[in-house]
Amino acid sequence: MKARFFWIAIGLASLAAVPFVLSQGLVNAAIPMLIAALFACAYNLLCGQAGMLSFGHSAYFGVGAFSTIHAMNALGGAGLLPTPLMPLAGAAGGLVFGAIAGWFATQRSGTYFAMITLAIAELIHALAPHLKGVFGGEAGLSSMRMPAWGFTFGTTNEVYYLTLVWVALCLALLYLITRTPLGRLALGVRENSHRLSFLGYEVHRINVLIFAISGMFSGVAGALQVVSNEAANYVVFDPSLSAAVVLNTYIGGVNVFLGPALGAALMTFFGYAVSDLTQSWLLYQGLLFVLVMMFMPTGLSGLAVLAIAAAKRHGIRAVAPAAALYLAAFASLTAAIVFLAELLGRVFSQDYKALSQAAGSGELPPVLLFGWSWSPAGMLTWLVPLALMVLGIVCWRTAGGSLRRQADAAVSNTVAAAVTAERRPA
Amino acid sequence: MKLHQTLSFTLAPSLLLASTLTVAAPVKIAILETLSGPQASTGLTYRAAARYAVDKMNAAGGWNGEEVQLLEYDNQGGPAGAADKLKAAIADGVQIVVQGASSAIGGQITEDVRKHNLRNPGKELIYLNVGAEALELTGNKCQFYHFRVAGNAQVRTKALVAGMKQANALGTRVYSINQNYSWGQDMEQAIVDNAAPGGYQVVEKTLHDVNKVQDFAPYVNKIAASKADTVMTGNWSNDLLLLMKATKAAGLKARFGTVYLDQPGNIANAGDLALGHFVVQAFNPEAAGDAGEAFVKDYNAKMGHPPTFIEPQTVFGLMMVADAMGRVKPEDGKLNVNKLAYELEKTSIDTPMGKTSMRADDHQALMPMVVSMASKDAAYKADGTDLGFKPVKKFSAEEAATPAQATCKMKRPS
Amino acid sequence: MEHLVISLLNGVIYGLLLFMVSAGLTLIFGMMGILNFAHASFYMLGAYFAYALQGPLGFWGAIIASPVLVGLIGVAVERYILRRVHHHGHAHELLITFGLSFIIAELVKLFFGNYPVNYRVPGDLDFSAFTLGGLNYPAYRVFMGIVAVSMFVAIYQLLTRTRVGIVVRSALYRPKMAEALGHNVPLVFMGVFGVGAALAGLAGAVAGAFYTTNPNMALELGVMVFVVVVVGGLGSLGGAMAASLLIGIVTSIAVGIDATLADLFSLFGARELAEQMGGIFVLKVSSLAATIPFALMLLVLLVRPNGLMGGKG
Repeated sequence: MKARFFWIAIGLASLAAVPFVLSQGLVNAAIPMLIAALFACAYNLLCGQAGMLSFGHSAYFGVGAFSTIHAMNALGGAGLLPTPLMPLAGAAGGLVFGAIAGWFATQRSGTYFAMITLAIAELIHALAPHLKGVFGGEAGLSSMRMPAWGFTFGTTNEVYYLTLVWVALCLALLYLITRTPLGRLALGVRENSHRLSFLGYEVHRINVLIFAISGMFSGVAGALQVVSNEAANYVVFDPSLSAAVVLNTYIGGVNVFLGPALGAALMTFFGYAVSDLTQSWLLYQGLLFVLVMMFMPTGLSGLAVLAIAAAKRHGIRAVAPAAALYLAAFASLTAAIVFLAELLGRVFSQDYKALSQAAGSGELPPVLLFGWSWSPAGMLTWLVPLALMVLGIVCWRTAGGSLRRQADAAVSNTVAAAVTAERRPA
Repeated sequence: MKLHQTLSFTLAPSLLLASTLTVAAPVKIAILETLSGPQASTGLTYRAAARYAVDKMNAAGGWNGEEVQLLEYDNQGGPAGAADKLKAAIADGVQIVVQGASSAIGGQITEDVRKHNLRNPGKELIYLNVGAEALELTGNKCQFYHFRVAGNAQVRTKALVAGMKQANALGTRVYSINQNYSWGQDMEQAIVDNAAPGGYQVVEKTLHDVNKVQDFAPYVNKIAASKADTVMTGNWSNDLLLLMKATKAAGLKARFGTVYLDQPGNIANAGDLALGHFVVQAFNPEAAGDAGEAFVKDYNAKMGHPPTFIEPQTVFGLMMVADAMGRVKPEDGKLNVNKLAYELEKTSIDTPMGKTSMRADDHQALMPMVVSMASKDAAYKADGTDLGFKPVKKFSAEEAATPAQATCKMKRPS
Repeated sequence: MEHLVISLLNGVIYGLLLFMVSAGLTLIFGMMGILNFAHASFYMLGAYFAYALQGPLGFWGAIIASPVLVGLIGVAVERYILRRVHHHGHAHELLITFGLSFIIAELVKLFFGNYPVNYRVPGDLDFSAFTLGGLNYPAYRVFMGIVAVSMFVAIYQLLTRTRVGIVVRSALYRPKMAEALGHNVPLVFMGVFGVGAALAGLAGAVAGAFYTTNPNMALELGVMVFVVVVVGGLGSLGGAMAASLLIGIVTSIAVGIDATLADLFSLFGARELAEQMGGIFVLKVSSLAATIPFALMLLVLLVRPNGLMGGKG
């Protein structure tokens, strides 16, 4: 317990120190990361804990966003609430809409529930550009943060601290909810809702409550985005945003409370950083999704839990080489895939076709990549990614073998100890 | 006495030398576009044109002896991503932001730039709009730091109508079909406004969902039922291509007046069914004479493909910026953006198409327009096919201009 | 009147196109419980493969070879990717197919570029079938309709009349029992996934020539296919056909209706009131044509979640 508080305090302190330690560009990146983390944790309340996979959660994020922008523009631009309290407007919008939508959606379960949530989000997405008064058409609505409580909220650092305070508060509340009877009942709904109703609970009412609470915190996340960007646009209802939150949650891992937050922060940063480096970043993102789902089904946090458990059981010295090998495998395979994707992208592009036509038929001019010049016809160009891939697979297999040997050794040690304990006189 | 003299003789010139050695800050221009995802094709074209223009600036000596730097930011496809990347660009010290692919994103950028400039005097930046043609950007959203070097619905339609009328291709019954968002609605209004000068009657107006309609046959049905001679549309990308394909498939004999027929991929996909249809362009190499030919050759040599679609207007817009920058003296080695803006709003340059100048009232550039027809006789072919765009009528900047909107009330810094 | 007939015809053909793509999806869902987000990507792959093979094999050869290729890709996806995560639950399978759709779209852009490619109707099919109301009806649309209907008949016969079909249907209802009886159920799953993908590929190969072939094809058709599958009933082939036709016809006819809700209110003399309220009351049905299917989907889900003809709940 004490250890947990210690780690939480360290975490909060380092987040608070970010504007002093990191560059302004990274502070700018941190704000969407925090917002995505809150959205993912709010989503996980519904999905990971209550077991209801919703495919249209961007609707509640969006409703929270638009409630906030209208609140900011109210009273001639002065705003209905002081700026630090603006996310309450988003919370209210998310709560109300979440309750209404949840009442309908939770009438069904499983895939049908998911389809209903998708349909609701798609319907709003399709109607929004037509309802200019509410959603502002495709240019969206815009507003300005008003100074309050002695702050101007004109600098990014102030917005960062506002976001940090709200996200920390909401995450704490979400955690406390899991500790209440309602939170426990949510787990029950996930495990066996029939049994729960036989025990006398009104399952539908519980479902609606959970949905509404999840919608409320999603609305807060939407509100924080609007406060940061000072604008709301109907593209926030796009199905790709709903899909992004599901992916972030599962990549982070649904079994650990902060797992989705971790996944969301990582994927947001990935998109932010890599999108400026290469045009094929969506390909890498897709590959990341598929590979994580295939090889790390419990997500990154699940992986961390496994690693800690293995270290506790076998000792860090035994596990460290395997971990290093896995990292090497990961780095090597990533390098191979990135190299191939970038090379192929350049070779098949329009500009290259024009260059090669200019050079003469059948000629394949060299491609500039990572500061070197590679010829597509040359052996070395294809040998490099091949070698990297082979290296990666070899490291992977070796690491797996090493861990298996550890596990076998541990089992035989345990068996040997048990046998000797039996043989020894009591 | 002698020491004093020696000192003053050495100190003074060295101090003078030191004062000129203040750190020169290179000017940073950012291209903030959709460089990936579904709408990437246009964003990448803007980036290519911006690169060409900045390379030319540096070949001419850059600014203040320093190279002009071009930084690229991917807005990840939406206004929220654009807002994030704009903040990143500001943090990187960018002073001019270039964008054009989407009016929605343009609206976000212009508002964010305005708010940033308000809150951070001395660290302003300029938004150079090279393609977002929604009217409101030089209307009720106009602001001192936004400059549009592209057309807008009113300018485009006025030229298109006049050009088609001259070619006797307009007829008396015109059908207006557009996308249901600000650009499409602006176009619809412009088509209606030009009915009197064009001598036609707008028989019906239709707005459809953007990029959602796969099957345009029902719309072709409506066009046929209205017995229109000409169809005028501001549709782009798939919406234009599918509409034209459906029209050809149904054998409907109507002339098309478009704004975006010259988008890369349209002619390749449409082929002969595009023959005889009209487009209003900001640049046509055949209409631009020898200067146009030289520009096309140079661009092709440097970028691997000839300049089409929005590339020329982007290059010319950045040339206007370069011209204005040349008249601004460095202050402490840095570029004073306010002074640049004041210079830019009175810039006038010669482009291969003719004189292009900036109108100070609403920061809309007055550019020449040319109306062309898709034909096999064109001197320059499009998309590697045997079709090209043959100019029908060229309008100078004054002829093409439409008045500034009354909703624009620009506030100027002192 | 003739224009109404044309609208109906257009709606029917568009509906048949939707059917071609959603047939595979509903089969896959009915069989394996996987909602395959990458299904529309198979549609896109079919179009691109046909475009690439058109040169060496000619139009007809490409139309036949392309679905086979896409089917093989589907089989590989099921065997090597989906089978691994089958026991983790539906969410994981769904998310993997979602990631796959990204990968396929990006790979297509990598190899073929961002712009639409020049995949066109071949000359010998580019004539007019008949004239109605002064407008030509292109023969290629009729061809698309014929392909769709024959696809429906062929699959239906396959599922109901052949031994393979019986095994497939039993694997649908009771996979464990079918496996206990000695049938190779994993092979059946692989086959169904492959055939579903091949159907989508055929739809792409045929439709890509008529509509444009571009990297956003999957997104454009993707959501509509889900609407069809849900409205028709997850797992029901007949339902998919009925729902596709319904949605195709409704969308097509809605484009011709310029009425608004305010017009409806005028029947009660409350037109001014409705127009003053603005917003949703003054939206024309024609501009909402693409939105109506979603409202239909929501309605079906709330009132009759099994869809029009879905069997099990």
